Amino acid sequence: MVANTKEVIEEDICVSRSSADEKREWSYKDELCVGCGICADICPVDAIELEPIGGIVRTGAKKSKISIDENKCVLCGMCSVGCPADALDLKIDNKSIKEMDSYPKLIKSAEIDDETCVFCKACETACPREAITIARSLPERSKLVTGEIEIDKETCIDCGICEEMCPADAITLSHQIPTSADPSVSSDIVVDKDKCVYCLICKKSCPVDAIKAACRTCSYGEYDLNPEDAEIEGSSFIDDDLCINCGWCQEICPVDAATVKKAFKGELNIDQDKCTTCGACVDICPCDVLSFPKPADSGQIVDKVFKDEKYCIYCGACGKVCPVEAIDVKRTDVDYTPTKSNSWKNKMESLKS
Amino acid sequence: MPKHIVSGLKYLTAVELIRKGLSQKEVAKILEMDRSTVSHYLNGRNLSWNSIEVAEIITKFCPKDFLTLTYALLNNSEKTRIIVKTCSKGNYQAKVEETCIGCGLCADTCLMNAIVLDDLKAQIDSNWCCGCLMCRDVCPTNSIKILEVEDGC
Amino acid sequence: MELKVNQDNCLGCGVCVVACPVNVSISPEVAGGHGSKTEETIMMVENGVIKLFSEDKCTKCGTCQVFCPVDAIWLE
Repeated sequence: MVANTKEVIEEDICVSRSSADEKREWSYKDELCVGCGICADICPVDAIELEPIGGIVRTGAKKSKISIDENKCVLCGMCSVGCPADALDLKIDNKSIKEMDSYPKLIKSAEIDDETCVFCKACETACPREAITIARSLPERSKLVTGEIEIDKETCIDCGICEEMCPADAITLSHQIPTSADPSVSSDIVVDKDKCVYCLICKKSCPVDAIKAACRTCSYGEYDLNPEDAEIEGSSFIDDDLCINCGWCQEICPVDAATVKKAFKGELNIDQDKCTTCGACVDICPCDVLSFPKPADSGQIVDKVFKDEKYCIYCGACGKVCPVEAIDVKRTDVDYTPTKSNSWKNKMESLKS
Repeated sequence: MPKHIVSGLKYLTAVELIRKGLSQKEVAKILEMDRSTVSHYLNGRNLSWNSIEVAEIITKFCPKDFLTLTYALLNNSEKTRIIVKTCSKGNYQAKVEETCIGCGLCADTCLMNAIVLDDLKAQIDSNWCCGCLMCRDVCPTNSIKILEVEDGC
Repeated sequence: MELKVNQDNCLGCGVCVVACPVNVSISPEVAGGHGSKTEETIMMVENGVIKLFSEDKCTKCGTCQVFCPVDAIWLE
């Protein structure tokens, strides 16, 4: 008789079944789980249960957000297909069913076009899952300015005022204690022209007018500058494991370089009268859809919980965690790749509420 | 003695296969035996009639008991399915409903190797179905129907 | 997970009673520190310390633990 084996490593779980013909391995990564409970809803044999996610997430308890009865699980993989966070996977003979055409798959993606991207890092800062890394290399400062600077060492009294004032740390004096053999407070003064930005602060602050400097950019336009030198190069990276396609990157990008495709469409309704502002939904939402609004003026009345559905993936975690059933998440559309199996089609359709 | 019962089962299988028109050589190949042993079997040598009687009783068990006992005696799935298929009295028609989720439990369970998955649906080869019903019993969605059908001859 | 209290730690401040969303929806008066004694709420301050009553109503959202200043109420 075929029997399943279960392995638990910290909060992660693995259930497997081996026969002469094939090996099936189901895996759960707690770190990626958003606590939406879609897996428990879609499971055809009720093997999965959603644990008290509010308590687990908010108190940092070392406990898995879902539990699975390995004696009930038949390793069909429906939960992993429904999981919007890719926290679940089923591998058959070491190949994920997400790579098999016969299985349906949620159609979701997030991409950043590096050709359009200006590498401002707004998406990296906004991403609620810290899934985005932007690497950028900045142009050399000296190539963005052009000018001339010269210090008349005869006139210079080695006061060091220019050195102190220079915002680019381009001027260095060789300070020394004067001796009878060399009665001066500095042996030399040099300007590092790679650092100088020709701001003329040194010239204006010199008490003895020893510095002659001019900024060509300001006086005569930018004729000396090569626009290619000003280009910022970089690259973007989205960690597909962490990304849940919330759309923050797309919404915050100033140049429309990010494109996000969501698997679910729907509605998020909050009953402001029922809400007791406990904050469980705000804490559980993987997409930072929810927040507590601050009134702009005294006397202004604001909603208890603020939502912006632009970022919502309609996973339903907030509705599951709300202790007073003040949140209703409706899924009106589920986008998935076709499958010939009617039972799988029906299950995918059942994600609509 | 299990060995003797196995011999009895092989004898019954050999007789049935010969009756179906196979040559002794083919029977020997299928049952992985020497041709001379097959010949001995068919002439009633190297075998006690008692073993054959016991083997005959076993073939008349309900299909599940016949299959699992044979598998336990032989511990070889290929020979088990040939013996059970050849000596089985019934014919079965397997049907998989649309509610099948393609979990593969039936395929893993089937000792006759009669089940494969195709496009997330179990496909049962009725020719190899021995009517043991183990697939039906293990199916989590109650999607398998096994019907016993009248033999044409 | 189970709701636990440690009465030795409890200051009797009643923040958990007020913060608990279930308590507020059952009896806003009690949660707000008024009204007559009821055992319908999950927890109440009694004789200066927290006491659990209808803990089966707890949805384990963790709000009480988040607000308790002295770790006297928690989920385990």
